[in-house]
Amino acid sequence: MSTRTLTDGQIVMRSLRARPLSTWITIGMVATSVALLLVLLGMRTAARGAFDRGSGNVHLLVSADPSPLVAVLNGIFYANAPSKPIAWAKFQQIRNGFPYQWAIPTQQGDSYRGFPTMATSTDFFSKFEPAAGEPWKLADGRFFERPFEIVLGAAAAKGSGLRMGQQVFLTHGSGASREGGEPDEHAGHVHVEFPFKVVGILEPTGSAHDRALFVDLESSWILHAYDRRERAGIEGKITAADLTEEDRKVTGILLRLPTRAGSDASAAMQQQFDTLRRDTAIVVAQPAQQIEKLFEIVSNVDGIFIGMAVVVLFSSAISTMLALYNSMAARTRQIAVLRVLGASRGRVFGLVLTESLMITMAGAAAGVALALFGGIAASAWLKASIGLVIDPSLDPRSTIIVLGGAVALGALAGILPAWRAYQVPVADNLRPAA
Amino acid sequence: MTATALSIRDLRFAYPGASWSLAVPRFEIAPGEQVLLVGGSGRGKSTLLQVVAGLRDATGAVEVAGYRIDELRGAARDEARGRSIGMIFQTFNLLHGFTALENVLAGLMFSAIAPKEHEARARGLLQTLGIPDPEAEVDRLSVGQQQRVAVARALAARPALVLADEPTASLDPENTATAMDLIQSACRADGAALLCTSHDPTLRARFARVESIDPFLAGGAA
Repeated sequence: MSTRTLTDGQIVMRSLRARPLSTWITIGMVATSVALLLVLLGMRTAARGAFDRGSGNVHLLVSADPSPLVAVLNGIFYANAPSKPIAWAKFQQIRNGFPYQWAIPTQQGDSYRGFPTMATSTDFFSKFEPAAGEPWKLADGRFFERPFEIVLGAAAAKGSGLRMGQQVFLTHGSGASREGGEPDEHAGHVHVEFPFKVVGILEPTGSAHDRALFVDLESSWILHAYDRRERAGIEGKITAADLTEEDRKVTGILLRLPTRAGSDASAAMQQQFDTLRRDTAIVVAQPAQQIEKLFEIVSNVDGIFIGMAVVVLFSSAISTMLALYNSMAARTRQIAVLRVLGASRGRVFGLVLTESLMITMAGAAAGVALALFGGIAASAWLKASIGLVIDPSLDPRSTIIVLGGAVALGALAGILPAWRAYQVPVADNLRPAA
Repeated sequence: MTATALSIRDLRFAYPGASWSLAVPRFEIAPGEQVLLVGGSGRGKSTLLQVVAGLRDATGAVEVAGYRIDELRGAARDEARGRSIGMIFQTFNLLHGFTALENVLAGLMFSAIAPKEHEARARGLLQTLGIPDPEAEVDRLSVGQQQRVAVARALAARPALVLADEPTASLDPENTATAMDLIQSACRADGAALLCTSHDPTLRARFARVESIDPFLAGGAA
């Protein structure tokens, strides 16, 4: 049985297809502005989440960096290798100066194929949690137990292609190692005398630690002691017994203060923070506070971007309105014919409004797709360039708000052209053209 | 069936500032009747058709197939027009960019005919009127075929009254005869009354009833 009819939707689609250039440009504008808004809002939320994750259950971070913010960016997010070391004696002094729950020494500076290395103690895996309440988990193998064993972060393992049991030669600084392809004269030298064995690969944590490699602190000291001795013309093997105070250096100290059971906060936080700040040889940072500060700094910038995206969204709404309004001049006869056939003024008003909404909804749908791909691309870039691991998925709340706003703007944009259609004088537009 | 397809009582219409006005004390068309309304160009024939279709407001009573067009307002008047009146124009006024079938389906969109019958009704009319390819866009059809599509659209909703406004004004004598044969036979076959306007005196012989617009013309509104 035949069921074909002509519907309002078909009339609207035919009308849109009759002026493809204008339709596609308008859809493109809506898509761009929706995608821009969604990516910016999504990235802001995701970036915040990623930054919140990295510091985990650390209360205080001590380093010799120039400022607390730099200390956090270097010590937690691997932005750069800290430039100034802290003597082992200073670490012991700090650790013994207060009954901390734990104090974990860290040393950064070496790398493998661009992935940063962190030398630390076994407490790093047993006590530090990269995200509060979420301890480290192994995807394969075990944590390091002795010198010259290396554990890979999830992204580092994936990015470097290293497998369990493989040998790794670390590079001094952040240059490429000898396994990393072409030698680079500007890169740091490779510690060829000391192979590390991959003994474990970590599960992803959603933090910057995923792109790091973790080794035992003593191994790192030995590497650099060997370099020191070589520069001094002392040849031969070196063991832990040969290490001097000069070799035993760290670049960061992760501290956790005593807390009440079931609470992450410490009553001693402010007092201990102030105490450590008095020591001018070090910088002490509360990571959560510094991350908040970082977001305050960038909030003005992303506010401007979001403002610009909103302006583009409004521009696309105006473009939709103008495209439809201008098309009305050529469509008065079509509207008059529909009216003669029995369409009410309200019906033709609705047809034009629907047209505006369809442009907006098509643009919004394309914008969501664009935002998803854009988010994945931006996430990959952030991960590759600064090691920030962020979730590229769209924030559902922002998506609903942006889509709702876009559709509401589309409806508003359609009102003026729809009103013009509503007012088309039927009889005058049915006469033969002059 | 109602007693008349069209009934007009004491109709008065004037354009603001015009030197003439329409005054129709009484005018009726029986169901299925075909009437030719003649008169010179610009004498108000098209205006009378527009008043009958409810596209212009006038005083007096206009009843089409039981619908009091003059009393209905807004969407109700549009609905009555869609269900009871079909219109044919000199330039056809087809929906460009749409197929022949879609143009006829447009004539059914606002009718009282159930949607499930639309396609069969539209295809049937197009077949009867000799349109070989209902899926062809109307812009690709010949002028003669476009006129057939216009006639099919006017009859699609099974209207009681078809208003044909100068349907042959732009045609040569041969095509005029063909077009009028088509319109009159289609209306007859569908049982629709026809009110056709023309300033062409050669059409008089085709109609059993010919009325002149002149008796309905009065002075200006003032």
